[in-house]
Amino acid sequence: MTSRMIITRPEHDPGTRYLSCWSKGIIKEAKKKNIDVTDLHKEKATKRELEGRLQKISPMLVVLNGHGNDECVFGHDNEVLISLKNSHLLNGKITYAVSCNSAKKLGKSCDGQDTAYIGYDEKFVFNLERRYLSDPLKDQRAAQFLHASNQVVLSLIKGHTAEESSRSSKRFFREAILKLLPSADNNPHAREDAADLFWDMNHQVCEGNGNLFIQSA
Amino acid sequence: MSDHERETISVDEEIRKLVIARLKLLSPDTMKSIGQMGTFSRKQMIESVERNDEVGQTIKNIEMEWLQAQKEGIVRKLHDE
Repeated sequence: MTSRMIITRPEHDPGTRYLSCWSKGIIKEAKKKNIDVTDLHKEKATKRELEGRLQKISPMLVVLNGHGNDECVFGHDNEVLISLKNSHLLNGKITYAVSCNSAKKLGKSCDGQDTAYIGYDEKFVFNLERRYLSDPLKDQRAAQFLHASNQVVLSLIKGHTAEESSRSSKRFFREAILKLLPSADNNPHAREDAADLFWDMNHQVCEGNGNLFIQSA
Repeated sequence: MSDHERETISVDEEIRKLVIARLKLLSPDTMKSIGQMGTFSRKQMIESVERNDEVGQTIKNIEMEWLQAQKEGIVRKLHDE
């Protein structure tokens, strides 16, 4: 059986553009592992597309990049993709939502034995440098955050469980903080980044069945 | 207004002053992405903390969580984990 993954990559503001660009690496890695990737990029990141693909190909892994709130994750131009009304479509899957607050209620609603939801129960924040707005992959400041976040998916596609993958991501956040701390007293950027990395690490949660993992292709 | 309320407001103002002082040290090139609220420049962040709006409160909450963690010995804990 082929492993399948759906990823949403809206790109309508600097925040979503950064998430989208930094997701290219995880798409590449997934393909290397022979995972069939459906990439809902820009205007394709709509509710209609996502619902149709979830029903048609029934992926094991769903990666949602985009804004969110307690009950929803949004797509391109902030169209609601998944909310409490259609969250049953995530049943039987592992979802990682790089999205503010959605673990609070939406993630908690994914509580079946065959379902896991990794996300954030507070705002997902990251710092960036204005000069890289047109070329996010060169932004090493943002890299600290997005590299650690991406570890959830990179770990899942290696076959680790949802809980282990969240722990792996948190380990990368922790290592990034520890790397910054020696200069935090003299370098205001290091201190600011460490505080924000700590916030993201603290608010990443794994709901549902943390023992789920992706079957290899 | 009770003494307790006055004290709470005073503490909140002190924290906001501390956050603003820290933000002023960042380079003008720094931006912070806070989900759907948007991506903010240093100047915009300082203005938000001064106004104590939702963006400002988020920045303040992040600072408070970090300060609390430091008080509880987070650096040692992170090294030990």
